[in-house]
Amino acid sequence: MIPDVAPIVSLREARRDYALGAERVHALQGVSLDVERGDYVAIVGPSGCGKSTLLNLIGVIDQPTSGTVTIARKRVDAMSDREATSFRLHNIGFVFQRFYLMPILSALENVALPMAEAKVPAEERKARAAELLAYVGLSSRQRHRPSELSGGEQQRVAIARALANHPALLLADEPTGELDARTGTEIISLFRRLNSDGTTIVVVTHDEDLANAARHKVHMLDGRIVDA
Amino acid sequence: MLLPFLAFALILQAPQTSQRTIAIDEGFAAEAHLKVGDRVAISARPDRSAPAESVIVGAIVRRGADPSEVARGDFVVRMHLDQLQGISGYGDRVDRFAIATRPSADIDRTLQRINHVAFGFRAYRSRDIAVETSRTFQVVSRFHRAIGVITIVASSIFLLCIMILKVEERRRDIAVLRLMGISRSSVVRSIIIEAAVVAVLGSMLGVVIGWVVSLFVNWHYQALYRTPLYFSIITPPIVSLAVSLSLVLGVGAGVLASMRLVRTPPLALFGR
Amino acid sequence: MLAVLGVAVAAAMLLDMVMLATGMRESFRELLLSQGFDIRLAPKGTLPFDTDATIPGVSAITSVLRTNPDIREISPVLGGSIHIPVGALDVSAAVLGIDPTVQGDYEFLSGQDVTTPDAIVANDYLLQKLGARFGDTLDVAAGYDPQTRTYSGQRKLVLTGKVRFIYGATEQPSAAVRRETLEAMGGGARRDRASLFMVRVRKGANPDSVRNWIATEIPNVSAISIATAIAQVDQRLSYFRQLAFILGAVSLFVGFLLVTTLVTVSVNERAGEIAVMRAIGVSRAHVVQQIVVEGLATTFIGALLGLGLGLLTARYLNSILSAFPGLPVAIDFFLFQPRAVWSALGLLIVSGIAAGIYPAWRAASLPIAESLRREAIA
Repeated sequence: MIPDVAPIVSLREARRDYALGAERVHALQGVSLDVERGDYVAIVGPSGCGKSTLLNLIGVIDQPTSGTVTIARKRVDAMSDREATSFRLHNIGFVFQRFYLMPILSALENVALPMAEAKVPAEERKARAAELLAYVGLSSRQRHRPSELSGGEQQRVAIARALANHPALLLADEPTGELDARTGTEIISLFRRLNSDGTTIVVVTHDEDLANAARHKVHMLDGRIVDA
Repeated sequence: MLLPFLAFALILQAPQTSQRTIAIDEGFAAEAHLKVGDRVAISARPDRSAPAESVIVGAIVRRGADPSEVARGDFVVRMHLDQLQGISGYGDRVDRFAIATRPSADIDRTLQRINHVAFGFRAYRSRDIAVETSRTFQVVSRFHRAIGVITIVASSIFLLCIMILKVEERRRDIAVLRLMGISRSSVVRSIIIEAAVVAVLGSMLGVVIGWVVSLFVNWHYQALYRTPLYFSIITPPIVSLAVSLSLVLGVGAGVLASMRLVRTPPLALFGR
Repeated sequence: MLAVLGVAVAAAMLLDMVMLATGMRESFRELLLSQGFDIRLAPKGTLPFDTDATIPGVSAITSVLRTNPDIREISPVLGGSIHIPVGALDVSAAVLGIDPTVQGDYEFLSGQDVTTPDAIVANDYLLQKLGARFGDTLDVAAGYDPQTRTYSGQRKLVLTGKVRFIYGATEQPSAAVRRETLEAMGGGARRDRASLFMVRVRKGANPDSVRNWIATEIPNVSAISIATAIAQVDQRLSYFRQLAFILGAVSLFVGFLLVTTLVTVSVNERAGEIAVMRAIGVSRAHVVQQIVVEGLATTFIGALLGLGLGLLTARYLNSILSAFPGLPVAIDFFLFQPRAVWSALGLLIVSGIAAGIYPAWRAASLPIAESLRREAIA
């Protein structure tokens, strides 16, 4: 079997413009980037540099004004909403700064949620959800609701949820932003472990420690990559 | 129930006199502080100069459930026919006859035969008369129905409003689900199910509350107007109307609101 | 938008219920006062025209009444029914026997009043049923025996004018003749009798003291002041007042609930904004004030819409209730009074303020730093 050597993420001259009142904002100005399979990339830069916009394009939750975006060898820049949604479900896992767990579901149910959408049989998804929670160190907290979990625990549940459907790519937007230093460190080491187990990770962050834990850093400024 | 029997017993025990008796209704007995055995003077005219007869209150009865009588505050006295004919100067006349037929009787045929030989009067089924003469009741019914319709329309608008607001409140959750790859239809479907459950539970609670209020309304007005008439009855058709309407509205509102939200790009829902 | 509509509906219902609660009484009072008669005398224990009973000794009673200098005018009225054969049909109508110089029962519209004993005036409904014109002679009977199909107390009367009966029920054919005429037609049984006396007191005199005087001097009648009449009718229609109160309270409550929900959702969306305002030094009270004012704006716009809606529905409901048998046409259940509008509006505004205060206060009291952190835009 020939190993797949194509980058898992590939952007070519991607631009993203927004209308802001009467003005036009150029959030991304012709960005080209490749992320290799199994890599761990941190995108850093000052506020307003376009890093979140870049992450949104990679996560297929936004579309470029021009240029191309290819994820797992599929062109995603011109997908319909339905295609994009389905693509995200099976290929991308998201981790947000504010966790965004469903408050009325238990930790196990939160993790199982994307699998239910992907029509994974109940027994299988329950088993996998338990497995993922064990992986992130929360076996004993399966039945707890988000309100009963600490910030760090919630973020770990969110990470487990992001991994539910064996995504090709894990994207994280300021995953340690809401956490104290100690908990942040736990998350950083979890990401490292995930990556060493083969998960491709792209994070956007202000957290120096998280950025330093990555294999590669991409610096952005004013909508452009200045150092990769 | 006991009173008429009591009255009867009292009458039986009373010494033999030629005193006639009357029956009065509960409201009258309460207002005029009368009890069985009291002697009263009765006359057909209100002026004190008119001749009056002395009678004894023989029984205190509860009035039937006639809606047109309810608010009038009239009192009802029952007398022996010949005595009333005498004091009112009516002579050998009556206003109507009430006829009870044997269980096996063919009522239509009986009506026909009576009307065939009737001279100066007509026979009707009691049921038909009741509908024709209770115009007061019909007006009140129509009014109630109109109020009912208005209440339903108003409630529907409130329900829609609140459901839509509540779904709007959850826009962030919806955004996250969409970002995770949950499809529009899945999101809408789960909101519909939730709305349906809320609607069903809410309407069940509403039925219980309505039932309790209905009990109270009947208790209050039956006591106030001294009547066995039921002012509020909850029937299975009413319950099913209420439940199905709230289901339709609740689910409809859920659909409207969620459709609006899933059409909005998830990023916009986050406020970015 | 839907919230405004919701408030409008609540406002409309509230307005209707306030109108209902006060309408009947006011409408009835206006009707009773319309001709200026302050006291009515009816057979003892009855209300005017409640029963067929009549008061004997009209002349004697009139003499007694005239001895009171506070009494300016006395109008005895005899009520009954008449039957007029028209072709093969029998047209029946209510009739009032009056004195045209003091009567207060009808408004004269056209033709001539009942100035002669053989004159009869009728309302529009009766004229239509009879198909008669002024100058026509009618065979009018005071009694009709359906069993033998014979008339009694018949007399030829000439139709002279058209009138509108002030206390007339909806679509009730009615006529009026001189009282002596009706007495004569009724035979001995109706001689010197009246169904009702209407009494007007001198300007400046106290109707209640005159009423008390009458009650003492003439014990075989019930002397009813306008206040008593209203109170008695009130009692009969108490059901509608209670209904009005309950439905009004429910509408107010639901409107309150709606505004509370609206404000709660609104402040939840703007938690960050509120936190920022507090952070820069805006007091809690000012924040609350701003939020409450917004909730009030919705309430106010909804109330204005509701006003129009309420008037429309009131008219519709009134038309239903006006079909009450025996109810004077002039009575409205839902009477538009500026006072009613102000009451409803006032209640709504108070409700709107109250509905906004709690969620606003809660939002303004959240810890600032936590809110800022949570709501800060990334």
